[in-house]
Amino acid sequence: MSNIAATPPTRTDVDAETRYQIERFLYLEAELLDDQRFDDWLQLFDDDIHYWLPTRMTRTVRERDLEVAGPDGAAFFDDDKAFLTGRVRRLASGRSWSEEPPSRTRRLITNIRPVLLDTGEFEVRVNFHVLRSRAERHHDTFFGERTDLLRRVPQEPGFRIARRRIVLDTTTLLAPSISIFL
Amino acid sequence: MFDVTELVRPDQGLINPIIYTDPEIYQAELEQVFARSWLFLAHDTQLPKPGSFLQTYMAEDPVLVVRQRDGSVKAFLNQCRHRGMRICRADEGVARAFTCTYHGWGYNLAGELVNVPMQDRAYHDEIDKSKWGPTQVPRLHNHKGFIFGTWDESAPSFEDYLGDMVWYFDALADRYDEGLTLVPGATKWVIDCNWKFAAEQFASDMYHVPSSHASALVALIEDPAVLAEFQEQSAAAPGRQYADNGHGSGFGLRPDLVPTQAGPDFDAWVVANREQIYRRIGEQRALAVNGHNTVFPNFSWLTINNTMRVWHPRGPGQIEVWSWTYLPKDADEPAKQAVRTSTIRTFSAAGVFETDDGENWTEIQQVLRGHQARRTTFNARMGLGHERHGTDGMPGRVTDDMYTEMAARGMYQRWADLMAGLSWAEIAERDNARRQREQEAHRG
Repeated sequence: MSNIAATPPTRTDVDAETRYQIERFLYLEAELLDDQRFDDWLQLFDDDIHYWLPTRMTRTVRERDLEVAGPDGAAFFDDDKAFLTGRVRRLASGRSWSEEPPSRTRRLITNIRPVLLDTGEFEVRVNFHVLRSRAERHHDTFFGERTDLLRRVPQEPGFRIARRRIVLDTTTLLAPSISIFL
Repeated sequence: MFDVTELVRPDQGLINPIIYTDPEIYQAELEQVFARSWLFLAHDTQLPKPGSFLQTYMAEDPVLVVRQRDGSVKAFLNQCRHRGMRICRADEGVARAFTCTYHGWGYNLAGELVNVPMQDRAYHDEIDKSKWGPTQVPRLHNHKGFIFGTWDESAPSFEDYLGDMVWYFDALADRYDEGLTLVPGATKWVIDCNWKFAAEQFASDMYHVPSSHASALVALIEDPAVLAEFQEQSAAAPGRQYADNGHGSGFGLRPDLVPTQAGPDFDAWVVANREQIYRRIGEQRALAVNGHNTVFPNFSWLTINNTMRVWHPRGPGQIEVWSWTYLPKDADEPAKQAVRTSTIRTFSAAGVFETDDGENWTEIQQVLRGHQARRTTFNARMGLGHERHGTDGMPGRVTDDMYTEMAARGMYQRWADLMAGLSWAEIAERDNARRQREQEAHRG
């Protein structure tokens, strides 16, 4: 369970064309989720995907490196491809009551910062603000940073997501659930 | 004012839903229920060394729990006695002392006031520091690593407070030679619902599982035929429910300890340690007591699902859920990771079981904004008149089915007795009389 924020040996900036392709890919991903095309969304992940949202707590400056839970700590998500697929199957069951009727979501993906690793993969940090509206008046906001590991593939849309680490800026989640994907 | 006898009738299985919404009732709960009961504070392993501390809450009261230099634990209100500022503002960590950031009053690990800035000039050396430490939680009890506290000097001992529930609690707390440890970090989230919905469900409600969690197993099991068979079998399995002293435990009877929900890596560890588990808690208890539990008022766990939590009340219409995953301390790494990931995936704010619970409770709370809705009596009559004692030789009031609301009625009975301001002696007397009447009725 690799921590993708750990510093790899070399990171180089990407050219404008690559940056454009990566941005286009991430906007497409957000669109698939907002449009609830979950089967298509799953296709964007590589088979060894680690989809991870560790918990976070308030710590003093001195102990700040312990703020976000590590690979052995508590998490909201810690999924492999099989379980992500299971989640999508559940959403399609018609009996997943926290998403039936479904939430309406709007994803703002900004501050996209891709770098090329010496493995040929891309590490991409983005800021996100996801708004969720449910039922009559319920709404939640989720905001934080994502770090993805992307691999180039020949087929459209050009990349697969191999790691996703999501860090929320909240410690106590101000929502009754995360029944959506981030 | 309100009359608690009008609010709940446990003997008839009737609930007036105003108990979930009324601000005045909520304030009374803080005083009569939470300030008088034993509340879960921390697990031993969260405080590994001298100076280890964590912030928690006893209902709405912020409390610091601190490991002392002699290994003991102290808990005190996280509130400076000068103007009431929070003394410690980190969720957890290791400290040598605590200093209030407002005016700088300093406290040692035991919560004693040891430093007052400008004591000579500003206070003319007239302040008696021994009298101005933060309010201590006067009674703590460590039950096999689980640390509880109460503000109430007159409350029964923790053992008497648990009563026969200890047998069901120990199916978890006493299960392994080396004890339990927690996955580091609590998962915390907010649900806009009254605390009693959550506490009651974990005390008493196996009945919601087939409907509320209809989709959860879809995520876990791919083959529809296997899924259908599993769902049918688990719903039809025989089960039992224990209820007394406001606590509850319910479970389906299982033929074996495995398969667990955590999968093959944990199953292998369980099989290798099966004899240890049977030796400690007995084969019958190990197989049977695997389900939902609440220690009154707000500490709950799911034995086999490796999740425990406190439902901290935040006003009549909101809770903070603080949940932890527990593990056998000496399990191997693959077993630990299996438990950790399976619990995160099923019972956390994004868990495929848990997300649907919050949905029910928030909807109920919304409906109860209505005037007529709040005047409409709820039905908690499942299994009324079918209470049993000592089914299969299990201690206490134990029904012969898991589909009953005996524990919900028991929880509301304890709630009503406390809310009526009865003394602990009066509550014990009434509980004994109720048990006798119940046993006579069933003999009769």
